[in-house]
Parts: sequence; structure tokens; C-alpha cells
Amino acid sequence: MAELGRAALILTLGLSLYALVAGGAAAALGRRRLALSARNALVASFFSTLVATSVLVAGFLRDDFSLAYVAGHSSRALPLPYKISAFWGGQEGSLLLWLLVLTAYSALAVWLARKRARDLVVWVTPVLAGIAVGFSWLLVAVSSPFDTIPAAADGNGLNPSLQNPYMVAHPVFLYLGYVGLAVPFAFAMGALLSGRTDERWIVTTRRWTIVAWTALGIGQLLGAHWAYQEVGWGGYYAWDPVENAALMPWLAATAFLHSVMIQEKRGMLRVWNVTLVSLAFCLSLFGTFLTRSGVVSSIHSFTQSAIGPWFLGFIVVAVVFSVTMIWLRLPQLRTSARLESLVSREATFLYNNLLLVALCLTILWGTAWPILSEAVRGESVVVGRPYYDFFLRIFGLPLLLLMGIGPLVAWRRASLRGLVRVFAWPACIALAVGLVLILLGSGSSIPGLVAYTFSAFVLATIGQEFVRGTSGRRALTGESVPTAFGRLIGRNRRRYGGYVVHASIVLLAIGVAGSSAYDSVVEGKLARGQSLAVGDYRLTYRDLTEREGANATEIRAVLDVRRGGDSLGTIQAGKNAYSVEQQVSNEVGIRSDPLTGEDLFVIAEQVNDDGTVFFRIFVKPLVNLIWLAGLVFVLGSLITLWPDAREERRLATRYASERERTERTATT
Amino acid sequence: MIALSVAAVLAVFLLYTSLAGGGTPSVSPSELASKTGEVSLAGRVVGSPTGDPHGAGMRFVLQDIEGNQKQRVAVLYKGSVPDLFRTGRDVVVTGTQRADGTFVTTPGSMITKCPSKYQAAKS
Repeated sequence: MAELGRAALILTLGLSLYALVAGGAAAALGRRRLALSARNALVASFFSTLVATSVLVAGFLRDDFSLAYVAGHSSRALPLPYKISAFWGGQEGSLLLWLLVLTAYSALAVWLARKRARDLVVWVTPVLAGIAVGFSWLLVAVSSPFDTIPAAADGNGLNPSLQNPYMVAHPVFLYLGYVGLAVPFAFAMGALLSGRTDERWIVTTRRWTIVAWTALGIGQLLGAHWAYQEVGWGGYYAWDPVENAALMPWLAATAFLHSVMIQEKRGMLRVWNVTLVSLAFCLSLFGTFLTRSGVVSSIHSFTQSAIGPWFLGFIVVAVVFSVTMIWLRLPQLRTSARLESLVSREATFLYNNLLLVALCLTILWGTAWPILSEAVRGESVVVGRPYYDFFLRIFGLPLLLLMGIGPLVAWRRASLRGLVRVFAWPACIALAVGLVLILLGSGSSIPGLVAYTFSAFVLATIGQEFVRGTSGRRALTGESVPTAFGRLIGRNRRRYGGYVVHASIVLLAIGVAGSSAYDSVVEGKLARGQSLAVGDYRLTYRDLTEREGANATEIRAVLDVRRGGDSLGTIQAGKNAYSVEQQVSNEVGIRSDPLTGEDLFVIAEQVNDDGTVFFRIFVKPLVNLIWLAGLVFVLGSLITLWPDAREERRLATRYASERERTERTATT
Repeated sequence: MIALSVAAVLAVFLLYTSLAGGGTPSVSPSELASKTGEVSLAGRVVGSPTGDPHGAGMRFVLQDIEGNQKQRVAVLYKGSVPDLFRTGRDVVVTGTQRADGTFVTTPGSMITKCPSKYQAAKS
């Protein structure tokens, strides 16, 4: 079986190499049949990668411990779902997943765009093939998942902290996002290579960007929720290099999603857009490099491995290639459109972009600082949480405010009267909310108060948009409220889907501000019968239980929870001792309040032999809004992604007329 | 142009904040002697830890992860101990070295560096 897997990977390497060389030659020389064959090779490389993937999955399912990778990441006792997720539990499997997603996306992207953007696809094929060559080379020559060993009786098992449903889904979503950014990147490069620098590459890849961006966002939220529930330190984001690695491309992609609208509508920011998409893609490579090379110490650090230098090489190639292409095409990318006013839709989108990129670059700076300071000062310096929190506040809070302002400001030039008409109500609501919050005592944290006030403002603008849109439709058509509301969204999916996404980001901001600025914590060693008070909760340690689970011994402390005079039942927190993996993991107890979104979070830090337990207990207000934000985020993305026949027809006529025009100019 | 100038200002600003303040030097046990003030110390746990981290404090010894493994530092640690802490594991703690040579940590500052989170130890 291992031979089949290896052969399939070599085939992928060969096919993608062919697609790169033949595709490049075909595009440069204008050979249509050769280009078609290169495209087919790229599509075929997906199927050969699929074969390699199936071989490895089969290895896990059959407990084939003659495969070193399976022996290293699985065991007979491992439950079935985790046998499958153990596939991406290690480096080689993760790389294979990268390649599978990349070839799947590539095949689908060139296939879907073959008619509408044929001249682009010719150039996109070799770019995507080039990326696939890099990854399949790693899997064939440097880090093969199909290395064999004398079969062991049992495997080493999967790291216990990965035995969690979130860890089944989290890496997959992250990779769908990371790798997905390769598609808009390849189309941007295709546009530059072919010299067709109009906004067509943006229109063709709009959905790809949103899919990748949504997946990356979901992946990170899943990771955060996993850290919150499983790692057991009471937080969900630690500004760790590996976490930053996923956040940076997401921020760059967020900036890109906004700035492309300006190019679509006004033809501006062309250089900026190709730069942003290159940045996003290079950051996703950098993220993979960070996690895989061990150059920066991280809670997540992986074994130092041989693929670090290769990745560095990839990044250098990607950066040099994109910078060169942008440089060469600068004359074609220049536009005559100018910013007419500093108070306009374009301008606010530009501010949004600057803030997002600034936030992204400060995170990059902090993440890379240990390496840079080592090179400059000879000692490695780590920047901590205060650095990141500071920049999150000074860039993030204005971003939050702009989210309310940007979508409502007029294009080109906004008038004062227009601004007053649009923002009078939201501003009043925000101020009122701010005052009420001060009276309620939220002034204990100024950034928290500002975040809440801005959140109220943005939610008010979004609410106002839905109300005005619906009543406008009703006045025109006389439809009922639900019909008008539904059709309003249905007819303007991008706009109202965008509002829903904005609302989810506001929920996220409220959740983050609530749980970080207004949380409380107590800790202490308790004997049975003793209790601790935190916030308005009172917890009494009742009993210690021990039972044998499927692959671990589960020790749990049971606590009674009371709030005010009411009993809220019990909560359990403890530790699992995994026998095969010889490791202990914290199992925290969480009680969520569905009405207020508040969590009571109990960690049994240390279980002593005499039955006493050292507890650490948090109250985290509003933290559940973060997870709710994830659902709203998906809903909003789905609305913007949903196929729209009217839009398709409009685009089709637009490109048909453009093609006629270019063909006419070519003949004259 | 606006974008470029803002980026330039930002870069200078970042350079300034990073060089002037903030950030703790990251050192190995053998480099510790030359440092004063707060540092983050990365090393491998040798011998067995003793004491209660939630009481008087837990004591353990760190040596360099690679290279010069002769220099050892005694560490006094209080606060939460990550699941992965064990003899032979690599950890990072933040704190200062006392005159008697003991490295006193900031409570709760320990981070474990698993040999690899996703990779079982090669034995």
C-alpha cells in the first residue's frame, strides 16, 4: 500500500510539473491545445493526490502500523473519528492535506472559470501548478507520509489534546482557508502575466476569496473554542505565533475583500489589490513556515524539521515573483480615477484598509521580532500580550467604528446633510448606550466602554439599513413586511450579507471586550465541603470521583453551584490521565448562562493525594457571544455567496461587450 | 502615496516601540548569568520537581535544550502548571535571577514546549 501512496504522490509531482512547464510555454506562445493539456494535467493531479490521501486514510482505518506515520499518530484503542483526524495530526499528513485542498481548489477553479475567463485561466494554470509542485516535492522528497517501519504491535496514539471534536474540524477549516487564498493569488498573478489588468480577475475570484476567508475565520474560531474548552487556561487566544499565523492572512484577506469593491466600482486601488492578495498568500505560506520550522518558540511548537528551509525558499520565491510581476505591470495598473474627497465611501474603505494592514503588520512584527532581534541585537526578545493588546485597541477600535460609517457614506463625495440624515439616530443610540453603561459601572474599563459604545453604533446603523430598506420596498411595492424584508436581502445579497457579517464582528467585539475587560477570577485550595465565592456565584467542593474511560482514567471534582439563593446544580472539573500516551490533560468545567451569555469556568489545577483540590475559577461575561458570532458570520457569508442569477446575467453581458471591444481593437 | 507614507510612519513607530521598551529577552540557562532584570528562560527540566506550586512553590532544575548542557539553573515556580510539564520536557518561564542563583518566576508564567504538539516523541 505504501508503494501505491508514494507512486501517487510522484504522479502528482509529475503532473503538476508538466502543468507548470507546458502551461507556461502554452501561455507564452499562445498554444491553445497545449494550454488545454496543461489544464487537464492540473485537474488530474487532484485525482492522484486523492489516491495518495485514500491510501493514508486506509492505513489509519486498518491500523497499519508498518506505516511510520500511522504508528506515530494512532493506536488500536483510538476511537474511529480520531483515527481519521489523526491523518492531519502530524506534519506529513498536514502537508498532504494542504496538497489535497490545493489541487482540489485548483481543479475546480480552472474548470469553473474555463469559459468566462479563458485567457486568464491559461496563465492561472501554471501559477497554481507551481504551488502544487512545491508541496508535492516536499511530500515526495523531504517529508513523506509513506515511510515504512517494521510493523509495531500498537501505535504511539494521538496527542490527547487533539482528541476532541474541534480538533477534527479546526485544521481542515484552517487549511481550506489558507490554501484557498492561493486561488485569488493565482488569478491576480494570471492577470498580471497576461497583461489583462482590469477587474475581471477580481470578479472571477470573488466567491473564492469569500470561501477562503470564511473558512479561515471559522477555523480560527473553532481553534479558539477548542483552546477555551480543552487547553484549560481560561482563555481563547494567547497571541501565540501559531495563532497569529492564522490571524494575519485573515486580516490581509479582510482588507482585500473591502478594497476590491473600490476597484470594481471605481477602478481605483489596482496596485493595492494585487499587493494585498500577494501579501495574504505569502502570509499563509509564512504561517505554515512558522508552525513547521520551529524558528519561533510557541506553545504550539512542532518538532524542528527539515522542511523549514524549504518553506523559507517558497516564501522567497512567492515574494520575489509577486513583487516582480507587480513592478513590471505598474504602467498598466495605473488608473486615472482619483480620490475626490476624504469623506466618501472610497476614503472610508481606504482607512479601513490601512488600519487592517497596520494591525496585520504589527502582529507580523511582533511575531517575527524574536528572529529579527536575534539578528540585530544578538539576543532574542519576545514581545508579550501587552504589545498585541495595545495595538488591537488602537487599530481595532477605530476599525469597529468605521464598520458602522463606511457602508453608509456616499460614493465619491459625501454631503454634510447626507451624513446627518444617516448617522443622527445611530449616534444618539450609541451615546445613550454609553451613558447607561457608565451608570451600570462599565467605566471600570475605558477600552471596554468604548468598544461597547462603538458596537451599539454599528448595530444601530445596520438595524437602520434593514428598516429603511424594508420600508422603502414596502412603499414601492406594497409587499408585507416579511416579504419585503426577504426580497430586500435576496435582491441585494452582497450588501445585506455584508451587514450580517458586520453584525457578527460586532458580536465578536462585544464578546471579546466582555470576557477580557470585565472578567473576574479567584483561586484556592479546597477540602471537601469548603467553598469559594466569585462574582455572585458560590461554589462548594462536594466530592472527587474516578472512573475508567475508553482510553483514559477520568478524575472529576464535583462542585455545587449557587447564585444568590438559587441552586444551579453541579459542575465537574478534573483531569484525564491517558494510559497509552502517558499524559495528563485538564478537563475544565463550564456552565454557560443562555440568557446572559456568561460562563462560569472551573479549572481543577491540582488534585492532591489527600483529596484536596486547587481550583481556579473564572466568571467570563458575554463570552458566548464570540461563538454566536461564528454562526452569524457563516450566515452572512452564505448570503453573500448564494448564487444570484441576476448578477450572473449582468456580468455575462458586461464581459461579452468587453470581449467584443478588445477583439475590435485587436483587429483594427 | 498616502498608503506608503502611513506605512513608513508605522514602520518607524514600530521600530521605536520595539527597541525602546517592551519585550523580554529570551535566554537559555547557560546565558542567564550575563543577564539582569526580567528575562524569559527556556530550558529542559532535569531531575524531579519538588514542592507545591500552589503553596510555598515548586522547585525544579533547568538545563540548556541543546549545546552546553552543563550549566544548570534552579527555578522556584508558583502558579498553574501546564498539563505537559514533566521531567525531560522543554519549558519557558519568565522571572528574575536572585543573588543566590535561584531563578524566581512570575507566578503562572510557565509555558510548556511540547516536543511537538502534533508529533509524538520519537523514541
